[in-house]
Amino acid sequence: MSRAFDARVDAALADRQLKIAVERTAGTAEAKRGAAIGAWPSFAAARERAAAIKDHVIANLGSYLVQFEAAATASGATVHWAATADEACAIVVDICRKAGAKSVARSKSMLGEEIGLPHALEAAGIGRVETDLAEHIIQLAGERPSHIIWPAMHKTREQVSELFHARHREPHVEESIVAMAASARRQLRGEMLSADVGISGANFLIADSGQVCTVTNEGNAELSLVPPRVHIVTAGLEKLVPSMDHAVHLLRLLARSATGAALTQYTTFYAGPKRAGDRDGPEEMHIVLVDNGRSAMRDEGLAEMLRCIRCGACMNHCVVFRQIGGHAYGGTYPGPMGSVLTPALDGLAASRDLPGACTMNGKCQEVCPVAIPLPTLLRGWREKSWREGLEPVTLRQGLGLWAWAARRPWLYRAGVRWAIRAMRLAGRGWISKLPLAGGWTGGRDLPAPAAESFMDRYRKGER
Amino acid sequence: MSMAPSPRVALFVTCLVDAMRPRVGFAALRALADAGCEVVVPEAQTCCGQPALNSGDRATATDFARRNVAMLESYAAIVVPSGSCAGTIRCHYPELLADDPEWAGRAEAVAAKTWEILAYLDARGWRPEGVALPATATYHDSCSGLRELGIKAQPRRLLGAVDGLALVPLSGEETCCGFGGTFCVKYPAISNAIADEKAAAVEATGAGLLLAGDLGCLMNMAGKLHRRGGQVRAFHTIEVLAGMADGPAIGEAQ
Amino acid sequence: MSARDAILARLGPTRDPAVLAAEAACLLAGEERERPAGPEDLVARFLAQLALPSVAATHARIESLAELPGALADYLASEGAAPALWLPPDARVAGLDWVRLTRLADCPIDDGTVLAFARAGVAETGSLVFETSPEAPMLPHFLALRHIVVLEVAGLVRWLEDAAPGGTVPRAHYWVTGVSGTTDIEGTYVRGAHGPRFLHVVVVGS
Repeated sequence: MSRAFDARVDAALADRQLKIAVERTAGTAEAKRGAAIGAWPSFAAARERAAAIKDHVIANLGSYLVQFEAAATASGATVHWAATADEACAIVVDICRKAGAKSVARSKSMLGEEIGLPHALEAAGIGRVETDLAEHIIQLAGERPSHIIWPAMHKTREQVSELFHARHREPHVEESIVAMAASARRQLRGEMLSADVGISGANFLIADSGQVCTVTNEGNAELSLVPPRVHIVTAGLEKLVPSMDHAVHLLRLLARSATGAALTQYTTFYAGPKRAGDRDGPEEMHIVLVDNGRSAMRDEGLAEMLRCIRCGACMNHCVVFRQIGGHAYGGTYPGPMGSVLTPALDGLAASRDLPGACTMNGKCQEVCPVAIPLPTLLRGWREKSWREGLEPVTLRQGLGLWAWAARRPWLYRAGVRWAIRAMRLAGRGWISKLPLAGGWTGGRDLPAPAAESFMDRYRKGER
Repeated sequence: MSMAPSPRVALFVTCLVDAMRPRVGFAALRALADAGCEVVVPEAQTCCGQPALNSGDRATATDFARRNVAMLESYAAIVVPSGSCAGTIRCHYPELLADDPEWAGRAEAVAAKTWEILAYLDARGWRPEGVALPATATYHDSCSGLRELGIKAQPRRLLGAVDGLALVPLSGEETCCGFGGTFCVKYPAISNAIADEKAAAVEATGAGLLLAGDLGCLMNMAGKLHRRGGQVRAFHTIEVLAGMADGPAIGEAQ
Repeated sequence: MSARDAILARLGPTRDPAVLAAEAACLLAGEERERPAGPEDLVARFLAQLALPSVAATHARIESLAELPGALADYLASEGAAPALWLPPDARVAGLDWVRLTRLADCPIDDGTVLAFARAGVAETGSLVFETSPEAPMLPHFLALRHIVVLEVAGLVRWLEDAAPGGTVPRAHYWVTGVSGTTDIEGTYVRGAHGPRFLHVVVVGS
C-alpha cells in the first residue's frame, strides 16, 4: 500500500473519537434504512427499475442534456456547460463577479466539493457561508467532508461543541445537541439571508421540464437559494432524469436508503428566476452542467457508476469505512462509491489503494438503491492497476510464483509440503509469530497446518 | 431417505483446506458419501484462482478458469467446502470466459453444476443422522456464500438436525469478518480492526463454538479470538455435520 | 470548440425526442405496483404520516374555512405561543374574522408563526404541496419557527406522482414533509435546524 494511504489509515484507526463518531451516525443510519427497506416488499423490483431508468438516461445522455437545456432556457434560466472542474469553477466565479457578489450562501453539494468550488470562491475573494449544518461545522474546522450525506460524521458532539464555543457569536450554554443546533441557527441566519448569490447542487435535473430538484432535511437549500439575487446550480451530467415521475421513483429510493425516511423534509423543484408579480425568488438562475470525466466514465466501463444517486448507503454499510471513516480515502467521495469514483477523478496511480482496500464482501451492492455492481467495478480498477504495472513488485512476483507452481500439481504439492513444514517449525497449535507473515500474525494468531496435506493423505488412501 | 441415484461428484477441496485443515476435506467426503454420492477427488486440482482474480491479474485468473473447467466438466456436480471458492467457479468463471467462444459455454455448464457443500447437501435433502454435539454454537454467514450463492438457511437447517446443538444468533452475522483473501495481509491494520469487532460480537453471544462455511473466514475469526484470549472454539460446519467436532478445533494441534 | 459541443460530441448523436419519450414512459410501466404500502383511506393515511417521527407534524380538522381563525387561536393558545401570525397575500384569508389573533405586517424571520395554503397533500408521505405565485411567496415557509398549513380535504392525492401541477411549470414547486430537521451531529435528530420547529396542519372539510 502507498505510504500516504497507510498513514491516513493508521491515523484514522488510532483516533478513538473518530470511531465513536462514525458508529453513532452510520450505525443509526444503517438501522433506520434497514427498517424502511424491510417495510417495503417490492424494494428489489423498485431498485431494478431505478437502475434501468438511470441506464436509459446514461445511454441517451446527449439527447437528454439538449432537451433539458431547451426546457431550462425556456423557464428563464441560463444554461452553461463545463467540460472540466476548472471550467465549472471559472463559470461560477464569473457569474458571482458579474453580480458584484461579496458573499455566497452554499447549500451542500458534493459536486461543488468535487470541482473545488469552495477553494475557487475563496481564491476569488468571495465570502462563502456554508448553510448545511454539517458543512458549517467543517467550514469552521477548516476540513473537508468525510461523508456525502453527513459531511461532519467524523466529529463527536464534544468536538462540535468545542468548535461552536470557539467560533460562534452566541454559543450554546446547555451542552446538548439541540442547543448546539440552535447556536448554529443563530450564527447562520443573518449570513444566509444577506448573501448575494446562492449556490446549490442538484439531486435531479428533469429533462422534459427543465426543473432542478434539490432535497434537504434542514430547509437550508431554500433559505440559501430564494433570498439572493442570483441562484447558481452546479450539477453533474448524470443527474438527468426524463420526467418528474422518474424522479419520484428515484426519490423514494434515495430518502429511504439515506435516512430511512419516506421522503426528505424539503423537496423542491426550481424552474427559472422570479416571475412577474412574485414576491421572492432570484432575479437570475444559472445552471452549470458539469462533465468532469463523466462522459469518459460512461465509455470506459464505468457507466453503471453514473447511476449513483449519492445516498451514502454503501459507505454506511461498509466494514472498511466504518473503521477508517471518510477522510482516510483521500478523495472527495469516500467509501465504496468513492473507491470507484476517485481513481476516475484523481487518477489511478494516486488512488490504487482505494479499490484494493476492500474485502469484496458485496454488502455495498446489496444495499445500493440503483444496484451498482460496486465490487465488480472495484475489481475492474484492480485489473487496470495490474495491467498498468502499478501493483508492487513483491505482490506481482509472489503471485507469479504461486501461479506458476499451481499450474503444475506435482510441483504445487511439493511446495505445499515445504510450506507446511516451515509453518510447523513455528508451532503445532497456534502460531503467534511467523517470518514473512507479519500481516497475519501482527493482529491475530495463525492456526498451524496439519502435518500432511489433504491431497497427500487422500492419495495414500485415507478417507 | 429419498434421494436421487448416486451422482458422480467431484470434490474441489480448495487450496486452504488442502494445506491448512485436511479434516474439512475428509468431513466433506464422509458427508457426501452418507448423502449417497460417489465422490471423486480430481488429482490435478490446486486452486480456483481467486488470489489472482482479486489481485487484478485477470489473465492468470482466466487461465485457472480454463484449467479447472476442463478438469471438472465431466462430473455430474462439483462440490466445494467454501462459499467463496464455489462462488468463483459459479459466478466468476463464466464472467472471465464470456468473450471466449470456445470456453464460454463450457464455463457456464460447469458453473451451473458447482455447489457449495452445505447448499448441496441441503438441496439433496440430506440431514446428519445420529450426530450429537451437546454444545452452544453461533454461526457467521461468510460473504461470498451469502451474497453470491444465497446460502443462509441451508447451514442452519442442517445444523438443526444435530442432536444437542443449540444455535444462538450472532449480532452482525452478515457483516464481513475482515478476511477478504489477500486483503487481510495487504491491509492488515484495517482487517484487524474489523476482525476485532467480529470477535467481540462472537464473544458476546456466550457460545462455546463458532461455525461458518469458509475456512479463510474461520481462520481469521478464530485467530483473532485466540489472540484476544477467548475460549471460543471454531469448526467448519461440515466437520460438525460429519460428526467430527470431537477432534481438534481450528488452532488446536492436529 | 465550446465545452457544450465537446461534451455533446463525446456523447454521440442525439435521438428523436418522441422515440426517447416513448422509451422513458415504458420504463415506468407497472411502476405503481412497486410503490411502498398503498394508502387505503387517503385522509387516515395522510394523518398517520404526519404523525411519524420523521415528519413530526400535528393537525386539527375543521369543517369550513370560516372556522380557521378560531382553530388557529386555539392551537397557538394550547402551545403557549403568542396569538399572532403572518398571513399570506391570499384572497382566502380576507373574508375571515381574525379578531382573536394579531396579524403581523412582516413575516417573522426567526421565530413567530406563518400561515400557508397548500394546493395539495400527499397521502403516501404526508407531504404538503406548494407552488410559488404572486399570492404565494416561498420564503415565509422556511423562516418562522411555527409553520401552519391549511389543506382542503379535496386537495388530498394518493401518490407523489399525483402532486404535480398541470399546465405551466411553476417557478418553484415544493413538497414539505415535516419540520426543518437535522441529524448532522452524531445522527441525532433535532427539529428546527434552520426553518420551522413546529408544523401544524389544519385539514378543512371531511
